[in-house]
Parts: sequence; structure tokens; C-alpha cells
Amino acid sequence: MTETFLSVRDLKVSYRVGRGSLDAVDGVSFDVPRGSIVGLVGESGCGKTTVARALTRVMADNAFISGGRMLFDGRDLAALSERDMNALRWREIAFIPQSAMNSLDPVYTVEYQLNEVLRLRGGLGRAQARKRCEELFEMVGIEVGRLRDYPHQFSGGMRQRVAIALALALNPKLVIADEPVTALDVIVQRQILDQLRDLQRQLGISVILVTHDISVVAYICDRTVVMYAGHVAEQGTMEATLTQPSHPYSMGLRNAFPDLQGAASGVLTPIEGAPPSLADPPPGCRFAPRCPFSIEVCASVTPPQVEVEPGHFAACHRAGEAPALRERARHVSTWMAEA
Amino acid sequence: MSHLKAAASRTLQLALVLWAVVTILFLMFRLMPGNPLAAYIDPTFTVEQQEALMAQFGLDRPLWEQYFIYLGNLLQGELGQSFRYREPVAERILALLPNTLVLTFSSLIIAYAFGILAGAYLAWRRGSAVEQAAIPLVLTTRAMPEFWLGMVLLAIFSFWLGWFPAGGTRSAGAEFDSLFALYTSGEFLTYLALPALTLAIYSQGLPLLLMRSNMLDVMKEDFVTMARIKGLSNWTVVVRHAARNALLPVMTSFAIAVGYQLQGNVVVESVFSWPGLGRELVNAVSASDYPLAQGAFLMIALVVILMNLVADMLYTLLDPRVGHA
Amino acid sequence: MRDGAFTTRRPGLVARLFGTLRLPLNDPFAVCGLLIYGIFLVTAVFADQIAPYDPTEILYTPEYDLAADLLPGEEGHLLGTTSLGRDIFSQIVYGTRSALLIGITAAFMVALIGSVVGLVSGYFGGWVDAVLMRLADIAFGIPFLPFVIVLAAFLEPSIWNVVLAMALVLWRDTGRVIRSQVLTLRSRGYVDAARVSGSSDLKIILRHIAPNILPLSFLYGSIAIGWAILTEASISFLGFGDPQSISWGYMLQDAFASQALAKQAYYWFVPPGICIILVVSAGFFITRGYENLLFPKLGK
Repeated sequence: MTETFLSVRDLKVSYRVGRGSLDAVDGVSFDVPRGSIVGLVGESGCGKTTVARALTRVMADNAFISGGRMLFDGRDLAALSERDMNALRWREIAFIPQSAMNSLDPVYTVEYQLNEVLRLRGGLGRAQARKRCEELFEMVGIEVGRLRDYPHQFSGGMRQRVAIALALALNPKLVIADEPVTALDVIVQRQILDQLRDLQRQLGISVILVTHDISVVAYICDRTVVMYAGHVAEQGTMEATLTQPSHPYSMGLRNAFPDLQGAASGVLTPIEGAPPSLADPPPGCRFAPRCPFSIEVCASVTPPQVEVEPGHFAACHRAGEAPALRERARHVSTWMAEA
Repeated sequence: MSHLKAAASRTLQLALVLWAVVTILFLMFRLMPGNPLAAYIDPTFTVEQQEALMAQFGLDRPLWEQYFIYLGNLLQGELGQSFRYREPVAERILALLPNTLVLTFSSLIIAYAFGILAGAYLAWRRGSAVEQAAIPLVLTTRAMPEFWLGMVLLAIFSFWLGWFPAGGTRSAGAEFDSLFALYTSGEFLTYLALPALTLAIYSQGLPLLLMRSNMLDVMKEDFVTMARIKGLSNWTVVVRHAARNALLPVMTSFAIAVGYQLQGNVVVESVFSWPGLGRELVNAVSASDYPLAQGAFLMIALVVILMNLVADMLYTLLDPRVGHA
Repeated sequence: MRDGAFTTRRPGLVARLFGTLRLPLNDPFAVCGLLIYGIFLVTAVFADQIAPYDPTEILYTPEYDLAADLLPGEEGHLLGTTSLGRDIFSQIVYGTRSALLIGITAAFMVALIGSVVGLVSGYFGGWVDAVLMRLADIAFGIPFLPFVIVLAAFLEPSIWNVVLAMALVLWRDTGRVIRSQVLTLRSRGYVDAARVSGSSDLKIILRHIAPNILPLSFLYGSIAIGWAILTEASISFLGFGDPQSISWGYMLQDAFASQALAKQAYYWFVPPGICIILVVSAGFFITRGYENLLFPKLGK
């Protein structure tokens, strides 16, 4: 394992709701090794996007970081002044949004928007910026001639490439990609993911890839962080978490998705039920109400992170029995019976 | 190419609307109670004048034939003779149009400059006490009769304080070589101030409310959030991205507002004795000067319809998404 | 029919109608607006009891002089008198009557015509829709106030000219909005379901579509009340109103023509303006309450 480059510890993000507040992210810890792609995976509402946005410190009006640290290259992002944080934005931490359509300003050309970052944030002169624009477009495989086009003139996949070009403009150290391929069809998804991985290897950057789609993780990520209801359920290398999932939620998640090659690995089985309300989370393990393997202790005691093998953690009271549970989780009836 | 085609079909559509309005007007003036000839021929005209007009408007012919003669005359800009002034209606209207346009545009430019800035400010201060107080106040300005506002301003600033003249565009006996010389004279500004202010106070509500709600919507857009994640300055985010997008529909509404303003002018010009189209229409109707009334009405309708077209064009011009797709 | 049917009585027609209108009673501005309407409505109904004088009566002082240009409070005249010796307060009270009469009838006409056009246009589509929407385009090309003035020139001076002109022209906005609403409603599943199950067009319109557009009609109706009152005031101010009926616009014209501005007689021309502002903004406030109710996103 290479050196740790970003280290998130006990991160807590809360939303003010009415007079109270709820914790959308509650004690999340994970590491991003330098030059790797870490997949942050989970159902919508599990807090994965909130974590991603917390790293940029640009959040919804009613959201705030209420605890924990985010050590980025030796600096704690949670403790930086707004001024110092802003200096890091885009120069060191860039972002690829889910929908490039809505994330590019519709009234300016793509070149204008690239120039804006290159000149205002990168301090490049006119000629340098121009050269860099062309370089970036070549890098992501779009004709240079299309620089003068408006965002709506690109196809969905092309726009996502523009978003990648934009993110790489200032040679950042970390790129956060929030569901970068969700809106695209499977073939284009693969092209974009291939490109993202090639550029990541070539430039040696680190990537946090937020997705609900476990097949995307399987396709591209080095490490996986599985989130459930604001907690980390399981984390480890991609191979370990996907081939030997040790948390019942990860086992269920694997059953619920086809892989990106298109071949379904058996029958697709959804996990019955819905994630708990974060305003009033259940005591103990948050997955217990939906878990086919829950036992008495699950309903009252929050499970600790158990290291099932070196570098592979699962927050489950029964993590020790994982191989046996995995076997049972393969059967559709296991998930149906609990409904 | 589709860009041009859309513009052409819109133009054609508005030409049809104009034709319909012209026809409605023809019918109104013909089907009114009383002598149909009275619409065009004043009994006090000389016999020769009466006969000339009879021939020009074909008043002895059947109705449908008169209709085509009327359309033909209109196409040539022939609007008949004013009863009161004994001069061609077209000339008189063209002489008054600049006064109305100067008043309309100066008041609207003030209203939009203020409304856009104040609207953006209120969006920025969303939920504050300032905003809570400002919105009902703005709605109140929309609820005011414009002429009443004009009366109050006149009573205070002209009759009481004596800061501005009570009406007209120039002092008695003042002569100017051209309209341009008049409009650029300092004295003209003192005449323009009160009527323009009256119309501006009434008109600022539309751009203000529109700008505010657009800003609130745009600030929630992903590209604004992205601009923040890019670390761009607050000014760049709010002005270059949010305001630039929020402005689109506001600018389009300017053209529509010109049309509405012309209607409001009818009363405000009367309060301030402003020699414009609206006051002329009122005077012509009061004096039963039908050709003049009809001409003034047509001119106002023409500007309203043209402005609808301009609004469409502005929209295609300002928004790159329209017309390329 | 079995007796049991009577035990489950449906709420009365009025109660159901109010239920459908969904009055925005939780919005403070809207409640304020409804309250203002209420006060003016009471004033209009009991004008005979409230007004101390006949609004057109020419009054004399106990010394048999013309009671002209009296200041507020003089000789017991609350708001003074006009140059012709008429009681201003009584004129204000009676003005309420014509304002509300015009406002409500015009608003009703506009909302009714606009709703019917919108319903028919949106529901039937095709050439009916094309014709009606072209008519709306034409109505948009007609400058409204000049149109009322020209119309007034040909008809006897009457307060109903404004109502007629509004009915002829201003249905355009309501019609377009209702049409697009109907288009959305029509694409919903239950309308198709009703059609498949053999309901007649009339029944579908009345049962499934009309109740859903009623709040929107009411919204546009409350805007039209304000427009009607403002238009009537402008027309009367320009001298095309009915000289026999006292309205706020007539009062302002009278004041303007009688040099009230030069005389600094604010007590004469300010109160009618305030009354107009109150009634019209009451309509706006109710409208705003409605918008928050119908389009929650706008308010937030």
C-alpha cells in the first residue's frame, strides 16, 4: 500500500431542519492512498454525496461540518479558513458533477468556462490559456474546433468529457467525481470510465468516485467504501469487498446490480425495505431492520469496525461468520423471507 | 436556418394579428350607431373636401368594397384628415410619436435599471427584514393608479415645492430648431422628470419581481454551485453566472413592457399635458375626431405588436440555447 | 332510495365550493387581503347607512352659502367638501359600491370566459384549439386602455363599458394559462381512465378537469378585480365614465379639473387613491397566497 494522501476521520455533517438538526453523515472514516481510485458507494440518501461535498466545503445552505477531520496532504480541510480553503479549490481539489448539462453555464461557450478557471484560478495569460484549452480537449478526445460551442450543443457523453477536461484544467491532486456516468447509457459509461482511469494513471491523481452503482465500482475502483445511512458499513480493496463482502448490506448490494459487461451475475435481487429516517435513526446497527441475519444485539449496540482481514473492515456484529452468511446471501429466498 | 424560419413564421403571425386588429377597428368605426359617414367626414368640411374624401374612402360603395379601399389606404399610410386640425392624420401622429417614445423609453430605462439592481439585491437578502418589507411595498406600487401617482407628485413637487413645471414639454414661447435640440436641452429634462418618474415608479415592479424570482431560481442551479466549487470569487459567481442567466427573461420583458407602458401613457400624458399619442387619442375621442382617434389607436397597436416581435427576437438573440437546437 | 342514504349527507354546495376554491387562509398576507375585501364589501352594502350625505347632493352651510372647498372637519364634514359643495366622505363610501360592482362583475366575466376558452381549447385540441389561440393572439395585439377609450366613444357613457371591454379582451391571459393547465391534466391517467370507461366529454370536463382549474380561475379572477377597478378609474378620470354614478375615478377627475392640486387639497384626491390601492393590493395579496398554495416553489 502506498502512502495515505487523504484521511477522513470521524467526519460528521449535519443539516439544520426546522429547529433541530439531523446528521446525514455520522462518524465516517476512510483513507485515500495517493494515486488510487476510491469508490464511495451506497443507496441515495446514504450520505455519500454529502461526504463528497464536505470535501469541497461547498454545501447546501443548511448543511455544516459538525465534527471530525479531513486531512488532505497534511492540512485539515475542516479547520482551514474559508480563504485558505478557497485557495485549494480547483487548484488541488476538483469536482466532476453528475450532470454536466446542468453544471455548465448554458449562456457561455465551453472555451469561456475553461478560460475562466485557467485565467482566474490558474493565473494563466491569454495565450497560455488558449494553448491549455486545446491541450485539454485533445486529452479528453474532443475536436479542438468545438471549443467555441455552447454546452447544449454537445451530446451527454461529450459534455461529461468536457466536465473532465474542466476538472483537470489546473492539474489537481484530487478529483471528486459525483456519479459521473449515471445519466449515460452503458456503452458511453464504459468509454468515459476508461478515459477517466487512463488519465488518472497518466497524471497520477487520486480520485474519489461517488456512485450508487456497484458495477461502476467493480469496473474502475481500487478501493471501496460502502456507506449506509450515514455510516461506513464496509471498506477495503475493491476485490476484497466485492468478492468477499463481509457486511450483509454489501452482500445484498452486490445482488442488486448487473455488472458493467452486461452479464448479470445470477438473479437480480433488491433489498427489501428502505433506509431508516436520519432524523430518528434506529439504535444499534442501522441496517438491522432490513438485515436477514440480524440477531438480538444488532438492535441495541452499534457494531464496531471489525478488521476481517488486513485493510478490510466491516461494521457488523457477525463479521466473523461472514463466509457462512455470504453463502446464504446468494440465495434469493434469504432476502425474500424477511419481507 | 431554422432560426430564420422561426423568425419569419412569427413575423407572419404578427402581421395577421395586425390585420385582425385593423379589421376590428374598421368594423367598430362602421357599425357604430349613427351615420357611417360621420366616421370620416366632418359635416363642417367644405363640399369639395367632402366629395374628395367620399371618393378616397369610397363611402358610397358597398361595405366590402370600402373595406378594401380602407386597407389600400392604410398600406399607403393614408389615415384621412383630422376634423379638428384640418391636416393629414398621419403627419400629426408622426409628429407626436417621438414625444411618446422619449417618455416611454426614459421611464422604462430608469425602471429597469432600478428594478434589476433592487431585484438582485432582494434575492441576495432573501428572508431578511428588508425583503419582508420591500415585497408588499413593491406590490403596492403595482396597485397604484398611475395618474393618481402623477397627481400626487404634481401637487407636491410642482404646486407646493415649485421644483418642476406642471406640464408640457417646454416653456411658453420657447422654440427649438429640431426635436433633437429640444430633447437635449436642460429645460426639457425638468419637464420630463415628473411624468418619467411617475411611469418609472409604476413600472419598476415588474423587472424587480421578475429579477428577484429568477435570481432565487438560478442560485439553486448546479452551475452556480459548481462555480463556487471552482473557487471563483463571490462577484464572479453572482454577477457573471447567476445574474447573467437571471437577466435573460427580464431583458425580454422590456419589449413587452414598452407595449404596456404605451397604454399607461394614455392617462399619464393627460395628467402632465404631455403632447404625445395617448393624450392625442383621448382628446380626439372627446372631440369626436374619429380619423385622428383611429390613427392614434393604430399607431399604438402597431408599436405593441412590434414590441411582441422584438421580445421574441431578443430572446433568440440573448439565449444561445434557442435557435441552435 | 333507502333511508340510510340520508344519514351520510354530503357537505352543502357552498361548503363544497369553498373547499374546491382552497382559500389560502394560512397565509397572513392573503388573510389581510380577504379582510380588506370584507371591510369594503360591508361599506358597499351599507353605504346608505354609513354615508352622512347623498354623494351628488350640493350642500349649503347653515348661513345658506355654498358649502364648497370645506377643509376636513369643518361643518362636520369628515373629509371636507368638493368645489361643488359635495361631501367627500360620502363620495368615498358610495365609490366603494361602483368599484366593487365593476371589479367583481368584470373579474367574473374574465375568469368565466377565460376558463371556458381554456377548457375547450385544451380539452378538445385540434382546430378548435388553433382558432381559439389565434383569437388570443389577436387579443394580445389590442392595446387595452386605448380600446376601452375608443369603445367608450361609441357607446353611451356607462360603467359597464369597462366590463364589456375587459370581457372582450382580457380573457386572453386566463385562457392561455388554463389551457396549459388543462393540457397537463388531460395527460394524467385518470382522464384516460374515465374516457375508456365511457364517460362523456362533458362529464369528464365537469367532474375531473373543472374542479382542478377552479383555484387557478379564482387566482386570475382576483387579479382581474384589480385591473377592472384601475381601468374604471382611468376611464372615469379621462372623462369617459358615467357622470351619474360616483366612483373613485370620477372623484379624481373632479378634483383634477377643479384645481385641487394647485389648491393643495390633499384631503380630496388622496383618499380615493388610497382606497383604490387598498382594494387592488388586497387582490394581489390574495393572489400571492394562492401562488404559494398552487405553486409552492415560487414562494420559497
